[in-house]
Amino acid sequence: MKRLGTVAELHAWRERIRANVRKGGHTIAVCGTGCDAVGASEVAEALDRAIAQRGLERSVLVKRTGCHGFCEQGPIVVVRPGDIFYARVEPADAAEIVDKSVAGGEIIERLLYKDPVTGERVIREQDIPFYARQTRVLLRDNSRMDPLSLEDYVANDGYAALAKALSEMTPDQVIDEILESGLRGRGGAGFPTGVKWRFCREAPGECKVIVCNADEGDPGAFMDRSLLEGAPHAILEGMCIAAYAIGARRGFVYVRAEYPLAVRHTRIAIEQAQQAGLLGDRILGTGFRLHLSVREGAGAFVCGEETALIASLEGRRGTPRTRPPFPARQGYRGQPTTINNVETLANVPLILRHGKDWYRSIGTDASKGTKIFALAGKVNNTGLVEAPMGATLRQIIFDIGGGIPRKRRVKAVQMGGPSGGCVPAQFLDLPIDYESMKEIGAIMGSGGLIVMDELTCIVDIARFFMEFVQNESCGKCVPCRIGTRHLLDLLTRICEGQGQEGDIERLEELARLVKAGSLCGLGQTAPNPVLSTLRYFREEYEEHIRQRHCRAAACEALVETPCSHACPAGVNVPHYIGLIAEGRENDAVNVVRRRNPFVSVCGRVCDAPCETRCRRVDLDEPLAIRALKRYAGDHNDNGRATLTRPVSGKAEVAIIGSGPAGLACAYFLALLQRCSTVFEALPIPGGMLAVGIPEFRLPKAALQADIDFILSHGVDLRTNTRIGKADALLSQGYRAVFVATGAQTGQPLNIEGERSAGVIDALSLLRRRALGEPCHCGKIVAVVGGGNAAVDAARSALRLGAETVYILYRRTREEMPAYEEEVEAGLAEGLELMELVAPKRIHTADGRVSGIELIKMRLGEADSGGRRRPIPVEGSEFVLPCDMVVPAIGQQPSLEPVNHLVERTASGAVRVDARTCVTSVARIFAGGDCISGGGTVIEAIAAGQRTAVAIDRLLGGSGVLPENTGGSLWRPAAEQMAAASSRCKEDMLPVEHRRNGFAEVVAGLGPLHARQEAQRCMRCDLERRHRRPVKQER
Amino acid sequence: MAVALEIDLAPVEEILEKSAASRNGDDEEFCSGDIISILQEIQRIYGYLPFEALRRVSQRTGVPESRIQGVVTFYAQFHREPRGRHRLTLCCGTSCHVRGGNKLLDAVKKVLDLEPGSTSADSQVTLETAACLGACALSPVMVINGKYYGKLTPRKGERLVRMMAREEQT
Repeated sequence: MKRLGTVAELHAWRERIRANVRKGGHTIAVCGTGCDAVGASEVAEALDRAIAQRGLERSVLVKRTGCHGFCEQGPIVVVRPGDIFYARVEPADAAEIVDKSVAGGEIIERLLYKDPVTGERVIREQDIPFYARQTRVLLRDNSRMDPLSLEDYVANDGYAALAKALSEMTPDQVIDEILESGLRGRGGAGFPTGVKWRFCREAPGECKVIVCNADEGDPGAFMDRSLLEGAPHAILEGMCIAAYAIGARRGFVYVRAEYPLAVRHTRIAIEQAQQAGLLGDRILGTGFRLHLSVREGAGAFVCGEETALIASLEGRRGTPRTRPPFPARQGYRGQPTTINNVETLANVPLILRHGKDWYRSIGTDASKGTKIFALAGKVNNTGLVEAPMGATLRQIIFDIGGGIPRKRRVKAVQMGGPSGGCVPAQFLDLPIDYESMKEIGAIMGSGGLIVMDELTCIVDIARFFMEFVQNESCGKCVPCRIGTRHLLDLLTRICEGQGQEGDIERLEELARLVKAGSLCGLGQTAPNPVLSTLRYFREEYEEHIRQRHCRAAACEALVETPCSHACPAGVNVPHYIGLIAEGRENDAVNVVRRRNPFVSVCGRVCDAPCETRCRRVDLDEPLAIRALKRYAGDHNDNGRATLTRPVSGKAEVAIIGSGPAGLACAYFLALLQRCSTVFEALPIPGGMLAVGIPEFRLPKAALQADIDFILSHGVDLRTNTRIGKADALLSQGYRAVFVATGAQTGQPLNIEGERSAGVIDALSLLRRRALGEPCHCGKIVAVVGGGNAAVDAARSALRLGAETVYILYRRTREEMPAYEEEVEAGLAEGLELMELVAPKRIHTADGRVSGIELIKMRLGEADSGGRRRPIPVEGSEFVLPCDMVVPAIGQQPSLEPVNHLVERTASGAVRVDARTCVTSVARIFAGGDCISGGGTVIEAIAAGQRTAVAIDRLLGGSGVLPENTGGSLWRPAAEQMAAASSRCKEDMLPVEHRRNGFAEVVAGLGPLHARQEAQRCMRCDLERRHRRPVKQER
Repeated sequence: MAVALEIDLAPVEEILEKSAASRNGDDEEFCSGDIISILQEIQRIYGYLPFEALRRVSQRTGVPESRIQGVVTFYAQFHREPRGRHRLTLCCGTSCHVRGGNKLLDAVKKVLDLEPGSTSADSQVTLETAACLGACALSPVMVINGKYYGKLTPRKGERLVRMMAREEQT
């Protein structure tokens, strides 16, 4: 290569390269950097071989390009012209690609990207939503260029910006351009780049230095790596321009040694640029000179801090020093030094080439341009994503990122690595820029964006980051070195279930000290992950400390097995599954009953939190735990055999309400050998299980079986007995009272016409039907709401003779709280779901319902739980004709027995202790729906269990329930573990048989399927027993 | 350490020569004495930093041995002990952590019967962890002898390690 002597020679060379390229045939671009980890180089080699075999070397070029960004789909192959995008290509596909797509111009359907939302195959790269919804400025050419080809870069306008700066601009003009473009440092803090350059230019010094900071140490960020690997010349050009502006003659690219490919590519690029006269002395024939070299970091996160980086460049321990003097005045070897981040430098040539006005047109008022985010964690489309400043997290995670796997909810997003914070789901719609992130306690940081779902423990994440900074603290200043150690110790003990009251306050105090007292950015920001998680997820810390509970089932020390931990009642899931696998159904039922007497009920209507935590998910699908429980409940011959000796004698405890909470409490009291009386106002026991859940989901016989089992332990049940006041029972001689009256009143809609004939709330409708009272059903029924009660009422209406049943919901199906499978079943039965509407008034004729006036809604910003808020669309009202309206928008607690007695919280709920369910009045306990205002069955059962234990202790007992084991040592064989298998589905009653009665819809598993399904269990509980204790690393 | 006795220091001399030469070629004092680069070169050859080599570097560059040791112990990538023939590095970055990296580490530890940062008794395998390998989109990630493996599960990890061990035997 001849040195380019003038700017004109560079332009001429570019024209020559372009002319040559145009003559060429096909290019097959294979990601040659990131995708290497999933076998891209083998694919490229296979393509090379296929082309050689066919003698096509002259017309087809395999190009190993930089990162395409869509790492999730790697290895990625793009055939040009045509931009045909092939995903997850394997070496075996190479020949077909060459034969069909290159030689034949055909498209290979099976290798195309399939849109997970629409299911459609997409052909062209630019039509894939992941790319189409980005603003790719910096990453645009990454997938087109061979990073090791200077020609490619020059052909793509490379070094044109440098030529422009050297030939047309003074250094001050360059600085002005950058200053006015609004470019801010992409390393994290967002300091204006132009200001930084000006400081350095104005500082006195002979041998100024430019440093490119590629010590990308933030775990979870990899944009710098990708830029350096994919377009090293762009970074070198940025450095040249920066050096020209500040007057530097020497420069370093400081790269992490963990990025060997980036080191290699940068070294090669420097060599190429030197040979071409784009680096070294007399660059492009001008008087400007710059010598660059690569320095490898040696594995110290703190070296990302600029004074530490300089120390490391000088061959010393990478410890920071106090500033001022700032590096812009005294940096490398005392010389004025400018340190810019890789992404910042990548922006520089673009700004010079397209002008500051173009740049200012992208982004928000205070933050200009685009930002590259490294999208990772629990998100479908992981990879590198470039979006304008001011984009929202929702756009990045859902529109570009394709949402969360298995439709789980976003819990939080970790932004900015160890210096950043956890952004909770309520901020999904906040435009992201430097300022907005700071306000909510995170930072933009380098752009690492790690999505966390409900299976991620927030406390564990805080501990993780603290462990990281503790390891990386250089040890120079005490607050950081010792403070982070203590913070880590506190967090570790909380995660291990050793947390103590006051630990949260200790964390806060210490965090403040470390923040205020540390010397450099590492220490000053180290407590951020703790502080931000405490700010938004304090209750998770409290659960860890007070209840030894980790709701994500992630903290190893607290979690025996994730499924059992997730079960509020603590049922030993692996043991009963193992017993089913062995064919020991009777024993399996007994294991469940040690913690939950409602086997048949929970086998049908439990929301099965256990399944959401099942580890089988890592392999294929979670175990059908609920279906297995039902199988055991339906297929055993235990009869009425009790678990312990039935109790008899005078009842010590009074229980008001015979729903799941009340009966569970009575049952566990009986297991603890205490007598109780259950008072029920209605003629039948079971509470909401009996009168709130229709028989097609929970047949009467199934419920009766569980109730009979409970009563057989000596529980005294008195139906048709309404209790007015709880304290009256204490004076009657009961030693404790448990109020479990549920939440049986529907919330009113509070709209006009609600009192007219034909309006009946869902709970009343369901109750009348269950009690055999007359319930007239209209022809066209409008059910308002999106919960289980709404779907149950709507499906009941269908069965009671309605012709059309609408479910009117103000959000969309995705946000509906009703169980997905119930919605599915309802729709199959003919329910009509009308999304995004809210009722405004009920129209009547002659005092009867004639229609419901609705207003259309649209989804706005996220609420505190991360669900998008519905917002009325003005002027979109319309009337839906109907003759019956069924409100189902929530339940109200029934608290008559304690209304006059107990303390309330600010929100009006009865104050109870989370662990014991005791109210502010001694000996009066309360739990279940009357406290939660409508929770799940298993939560109510758990409340009954906790109360029974607390009452037993109060009355002098030990409160120890029967041992929670089952003695199943069944383990899956190795091949069973390795082979993917799909989850067994329960049979369903054919749709045509459903509408004419209340017969149960789900048929349950048969013995063969149940056995098969049970054998999918991985028995995490046994694995744990074999695990060696974790060594403490100190 | 018995190993330290028979170390051939010729490559160290070579590296020092080269470093000195490049220093002379440069027109400024800037490039001089980058101890870290020299140490990295030495480690590339020996796989670790033999004590004797460090002493030689000190003698030749005039940088006190204490300062060299200070540098060596500061940076995570420098090793003062020989490492195994095979090197396994597991990423412990945030994304890998969130996607089950700790379970992968547990599985690999179990197969190898090694703790992170240690080498097997037969000097065949060294198990290490890294703060982040920057392959977050493919997490969890493990590197075996410089080759990246992504989207791992504990089981896939075990299989890879077993495969590596088998290749070893043949």
